[in-house]
Formats: sequence, C-alpha cells, structure tokens
Amino acid sequence: MGSIRSAYESDPDMLEIVREFASELPARVAKLEAHLAAGEMRELQTLAHQLKGAGGGYGFPQITELAASLEAALKQGAAAPVVKDRAIALCACLRDVVVPEAR
Amino acid sequence: MNPEVPNPNRVLVIDDSESIHKLVIARLRPEGLEVFGEVDGERGIERAVADQPDLVLLDIGLPNVDGFEVCRRLKEHPATRGIPVIFLTGTADTESKVRGLDLGAVDYVTKPFDQVELRARVRAALRAKRLQDILEQQSHLDGLTGLWNRRYLDQRLESELNVARRYGRPLSLVLVDVDHFKRVNDDHGHLFGDIVLQGMAEGLRAYARRSDIVARYGGEEFAILLTDTNLRSAMYVSERLRASAENRHFEARTEIVSVTASFGVACTEDLAAELTPEALLKAADLALYASKDSGRNCVHLFRSGELILSTGNPHALGSEGG
Repeated sequence: MGSIRSAYESDPDMLEIVREFASELPARVAKLEAHLAAGEMRELQTLAHQLKGAGGGYGFPQITELAASLEAALKQGAAAPVVKDRAIALCACLRDVVVPEAR
Repeated sequence: MNPEVPNPNRVLVIDDSESIHKLVIARLRPEGLEVFGEVDGERGIERAVADQPDLVLLDIGLPNVDGFEVCRRLKEHPATRGIPVIFLTGTADTESKVRGLDLGAVDYVTKPFDQVELRARVRAALRAKRLQDILEQQSHLDGLTGLWNRRYLDQRLESELNVARRYGRPLSLVLVDVDHFKRVNDDHGHLFGDIVLQGMAEGLRAYARRSDIVARYGGEEFAILLTDTNLRSAMYVSERLRASAENRHFEARTEIVSVTASFGVACTEDLAAELTPEALLKAADLALYASKDSGRNCVHLFRSGELILSTGNPHALGSEGG
C-alpha cells in the first residue's frame, strides 16, 4: 500500500486528472525499467524530463525532485551505477503513489 | 462581433506530454479560456496557422522539431507572427531562457509551474495581445470616417488580386469622388465638409454589401473593393450607392444641402492590361474622370479600354460588344 498522496486531491478541479495521472504511473515505471535495462539513456532522459515537469503540477513535488536528479545525472553522463540508483529511487517513489478515490 | 460578449481567448498548448495538456487546461479553467493542444511541433505550427490562437504555450523538448525552432517559425510566418508565445518548459538554464526570449517569446515559465503565477502571466500576455490587436486595427482605419484607410485598401487590393489571379475569380474596384467638394467646403466651412464626408462614408457602408471593402482613399475620394464580383454586379452596387448619396441631405446653418458623387468602376475580367493594382486603379480612375467630365453624379464603367456610361439599366451591358 502506497503512502504518497497528491497535494491537490481535495481540489475538485484537479481530482479527476490527478486520478488519471496517478493510475498511469505503473505504466511509466514499466517503461523506465525497460529503458534502464536496455541501456536506452536518451529515452530514459525524456521520461525523466517529462516526470520532472508534470510531477509537481499534479501535487507530487517528490516526483519532480527525484526525476530532476535522474535527468541531471543523465545530462552530465554520470556513471551507470549513479543513473541506476537514481532511476530505482524514482521508480520506488512512483510505486508509492496513492490513486485518490473518485468523489 | 458583439463587443459586450467577447469571444473567449484561445490558447494553444504545444507539449509532448498529454499530462501537461490536462494540467494546463485544469489550471487555466478559472480564466474562462478555450485551451487546446498538440503534442508535436510540426502539427503545433499548422494548428497555430489554421486556428489563430491568441496565445501559444510552448514546450522546448519536443520530438522532431524542438520548441526553439517552433518559436522561430511562428515568428517568421506572417499568419502567426503576432501571436504571443510563452515558453512553458522544464528546461530552466539561463541560456535557454535568453534564447527563447530572443527568438520573440514574451515570457518563459518553468515546469513544474505555479498555477497562480501561470495564470497571471497568461493574463498579462493576453492583455498585451489585445492592445496590439487594437493598434493594428486602428492603423488600418480612417480617423474621420471610421472606414478602412488607403493603406489597408492597398494591402487588400494586392492580396485580393492574387486570389483573383490564382482562382480566376473576378475582382472589381469602384472609385468614388464627392462632387464639388471644394465648393461645399468654401460655402459652408470645413466642419460641414467633414460632416458631409462622414455622411457619405455612412451611406457607402450602409448600401455596400457585407463582403465589400469600403475605404477612404484620399481627401474626398473613396474606394470600394468588391471581391468575387463582375463588372455588371459592381455596376448595380455603384448605382445603388450613387442613388443613396443623391438622396442624402445635409443640414447647414441656413439651408439643406444635397451632395452628389461620381463613380468609376473597373473589373479584372474587363481589363485589357495585365492584372496589377496599378492597372485596376488606373482603369477605375479613367472611368471616374469620364463621370466627372459628363456632368458628375453618374457611374462610368471601364470595359476593355472603353469608357461606358452606366444608365442603371442592366440590359445596357447585356449584349457583348454593345
């Protein structure tokens, strides 16, 4: 059971799209893991960049923070273990997100 | 167009992430805007050209064509040059901000964005766009009469001639000159002269068709561009305008003054010369002078080098070469 909740789930304007965003996260985790396993760094960077931009907007500043850290490592061409650690941390965070209930 | 119920401003979001489209739509909802999106730079440009949004929110990291290139092309294209662009991007380095603004963007907001700030920046950009639109329109209007001005007519003449040439559609031009205007001014003063010009303008606008482009072309001269209109139809319109001018009366201090106008009509289909703005203007001008020479308050048509007095009778033009 996850523990990360959106800061905006009580905002009626946001609830529906937060639900959508949160429920699509497992698919993003699968993509992240697949790109990581295949060593597809460009694709990994694109995903990290998108999560950085969207996470905070949907009320998940942790996602933005961890995705930014992964993006930075990839941009700087950091060593593979660093990239791997950061990708794993991001995936763990995404898995922890709670899909809010519809109202 | 009803100024009291303005159409909602329309915002185009170009971002490769659908999550961002949905987020922007939700966050701009309080502004009452119409927001629509494209996920690809190339299609974003096409959409901007076709749908003419009031604002573009533009991501940088796009597949194929990146946001900088999209901005450059939007600012280059005449149809989208005036649309403000705000970069909305996860790329936060100074170099990118400077590059984006130097390419002509009005603002640069980083993702994740603060919703209150984004709304304020969007409002600011739309405010500036509204003023720019007003200025643009005013630069095309004649101050005294509220008709289009000569600059606008010249621009439209050029572009409508291109359309006429490309699609083989007829385009007519009518030149109108107020008769004895100098005498009106001398007898009743310049203020009265202005009232006459305003009345004439009102009549032309009221009796022209919706699609006709009515302009003040010079001091007491007006020009009307009639798209998709042949010589015969342009003659009908001109006769109607001439009659309406004749029936309009102006109250001077001590008397009622009636003022007439002379008309010259030319059409691309009946032009012997090449289809240029100058040739069409010259033909209409020759016809106008024929009207002046034959006693004023009448309509002359230019047809293949001949100047024909319109009798207001459609059959006069009926048989070819008549």
